[in-house]
Amino acid sequence: MKQDSFLHELDPRAKLLMAVIYTLCTLIFTDIVPLLIILLSLLPLIVNGKLFKKWIKSIKGLSFLFIIIIFLNTFFISLTFAIAMIIRITIMISAFSLFFLTVDPNDLALSLISMKIPYSIAFSFSLAFRFIPTIAIETENIKDAQQSRGYELQASGIINQVKNLFPLLVPLIICSIKRAFNVAEALESRAFGSNKKRTHYFTIKFTWKDWIFTSYLLLLLIFMIFIRINLNLFPFLTWSMDL
Amino acid sequence: MIQTSHHVPVILVKNVEYTYPNKTIALRGINLKIAKGEFIAIMGKNGAGKSTLIRTFNGLIRPSKGNVFVKGENAQKHTIAELSSVIGLIFQNPLHQLFSNTIEEEIRFSLKNLNLDKNEIERRINGTLEIFNLEKYRNRSPLNLSGGETKKLAAASIMCRNPEILVFDEPTLGQDAKEIEFFINLIRNELSKEKTIIVITHNVEFAIEYIPRVILMADGNIIADGPTNEVLTKEMLINESSLVLPQIYQFNMALNLIGIPSPKNVYSKKQMFDFLKEYMKKNQAISRRVFNNGIRLSKCF
Amino acid sequence: MLSIYIELKVILAYYRMDLIKFNNFFYRYKGNQDYALNDINITIPDNKFILLAGETGSGKTSLIRCLNGLIPQFYPGYYKGSVEIGGVDTTSISIANLSTTTGIVFQNPENQLIAMNVEHEIAFGLENLGIDREVITERINQSVMLTEIEHLLHKTPYELSGGEQQRVALASILALEPKILVLDEPTGLLDPSVAKKILLLLQKIQEEKGMTILISEHRMDLVLPLVDEIILMKNGKVIAHDTKEHIINSKRFIDLNISHPIMFSLFSDLRKEGIEIKKLPTSIPEALELLKDFIRV
Repeated sequence: MKQDSFLHELDPRAKLLMAVIYTLCTLIFTDIVPLLIILLSLLPLIVNGKLFKKWIKSIKGLSFLFIIIIFLNTFFISLTFAIAMIIRITIMISAFSLFFLTVDPNDLALSLISMKIPYSIAFSFSLAFRFIPTIAIETENIKDAQQSRGYELQASGIINQVKNLFPLLVPLIICSIKRAFNVAEALESRAFGSNKKRTHYFTIKFTWKDWIFTSYLLLLLIFMIFIRINLNLFPFLTWSMDL
Repeated sequence: MIQTSHHVPVILVKNVEYTYPNKTIALRGINLKIAKGEFIAIMGKNGAGKSTLIRTFNGLIRPSKGNVFVKGENAQKHTIAELSSVIGLIFQNPLHQLFSNTIEEEIRFSLKNLNLDKNEIERRINGTLEIFNLEKYRNRSPLNLSGGETKKLAAASIMCRNPEILVFDEPTLGQDAKEIEFFINLIRNELSKEKTIIVITHNVEFAIEYIPRVILMADGNIIADGPTNEVLTKEMLINESSLVLPQIYQFNMALNLIGIPSPKNVYSKKQMFDFLKEYMKKNQAISRRVFNNGIRLSKCF
Repeated sequence: MLSIYIELKVILAYYRMDLIKFNNFFYRYKGNQDYALNDINITIPDNKFILLAGETGSGKTSLIRCLNGLIPQFYPGYYKGSVEIGGVDTTSISIANLSTTTGIVFQNPENQLIAMNVEHEIAFGLENLGIDREVITERINQSVMLTEIEHLLHKTPYELSGGEQQRVALASILALEPKILVLDEPTGLLDPSVAKKILLLLQKIQEEKGMTILISEHRMDLVLPLVDEIILMKNGKVIAHDTKEHIINSKRFIDLNISHPIMFSLFSDLRKEGIEIKKLPTSIPEALELLKDFIRV
């Protein structure tokens, strides 16, 4: 699980800043070329973190959305705009998935705390993170159990489709409540919510790498704002495939 | 002990491999033949591939390579629903399937897609509730039952569909002696109706006492397939599967070491009981005679 | 201030009181008619290995929940009587404060692991109690060594087998250095040989630490050789609490609908046939010992 690429080693706060700044940068452009440049600037990080396959996978997951965007935007606005929109979404999703793919979930809670978020809230985030795979497996098992008694996943008509969810949802909710009680018992038994001031045994540290990365991000933002303001000076940036 | 049958096996697994989407290899070339009316245990440590294997039987998992044949027909060509009317999988955690308001409704749901007429459905519900001693709870919520009863209800909701092959996943887990006895009787009853029964279990004592054939799995392979007596007494296989040697077998070996001449092929509690009863009664009688003679002798002096 | 006072009270109480004491304790869960615990009067002594046995639904889990105040604090319901831990009523002190007296390990290892790696997992309880860093390091090292999981320290819960997960859960409780370790069917979901290893580990811990271990366990064959005392439960009541020898040879134990050890049921069947057996064996060595009397002649 623990890897040691540049991105993996960064402080979660620096990585979160990356996601935010990349999002901001994409929001100020509606042209293909500058957006493409921004997207390309993410590539070294993806390659360095050996995340190419996972990244492609998360982008592929959006293909349905892309088709809708192309269809609607070309129809109402223009193909250039449609493609720009797609690149925009790709950048945002990439930046955030880079964050989630490389953040150590243990540090996630710590970084939230360092941003002055109360421990109980930060902890519930990391707890949710911890149990997502468990609940995913449970959902599969419920599906298997119901299908083994003749339940069919597909149903026709909206009312039937909703009704059809009950055999899956009810057991899932019941099992989740049961699990929540189990987890709560385990937490209580380990002094969770004790009235003493909590020690934080583990810490996260902003190292020189993080400072360099943060400076890079800020420069990037300033640079992009500069370009946005002077967009007319660089005609190639506003290249469009429409006539 | 293996019954060789002349007709088509009810389940035939041929070179089946399966890799999960996350690249975990679960099955690495499984070959298996199960004849009608057999009673089989599938054993092995957690993660050996037992659950994956039984899921290939009714199509919940489609092999990456190889084929599963159910009653001679390629499972690949049938839906899960079709296969599940022949093969009933009863999973470990009953809470994964109970969702209805009443127990009656729970069973009715299982009968829905079988194209049965109304009278037959009612007949099946009543019959099933009776077999499982659940009539008195008919209108209760499944969530108000005890642990043992929920486990029964989960089995009932599969067995009401009357599948020819039944697969139980850990039926004895967390159950009391009486509940285990209920399941054994249930299985015996099904076997008498020529049903085929497959049980996933970690319970060595349960397997050696009741189940004639065992399939031992490790790391996605079948490492042994044969009579339970033979397989479960091989120390190497047992260690590889994180199981323990059956107690009666260990006891029997120890008996021989301390000089009690027990026969070699004693594996079940019943056999051991018969031997010890004879042996102890005999020796008890001898010891009494010696003791009494001792008293008589002492009186002479 | 209050918490310091309470702690002092707990510490002082250790020197003169039983570890845990139930006084005419009744409890029923909210929305339930039947008493899950019905007039419980037991004391749990120091430095003993105790088995809690009974049919499913006999109240074992509920009794265990009383031992660190989960009942009645976490599970709301109706109760009468009291449970004292180290002389302090469990309703007058928080569950968190009781965690250094009673440590509970539950059946499902998966649901007890709440952190993303083992080191964080073990530190969690200690952090909650506001313990100093140096002490935490020391405690992590100790409990990791005791449970033999040094090699797992940086693994995530998903990378661990069930047995390893349960060891981690155990380590995270032991790090709190409780006086009594309670386990609610800790091996229920584990492979037989893994279960055996965990139980032997418990024996080692009990001997090394001199603590009381209370365990509810289905695998009678494996657990009985380890225990000193047995508490028998039925329908929410404690029907017997005595030394192992006394309980095992009592009719109550035979009549209970639990999976008895194979040697035990084998020889109790033989006894029914009229063969003289004074003490019923629970393990193979005991059974052999018994049979030697029959060969000597």
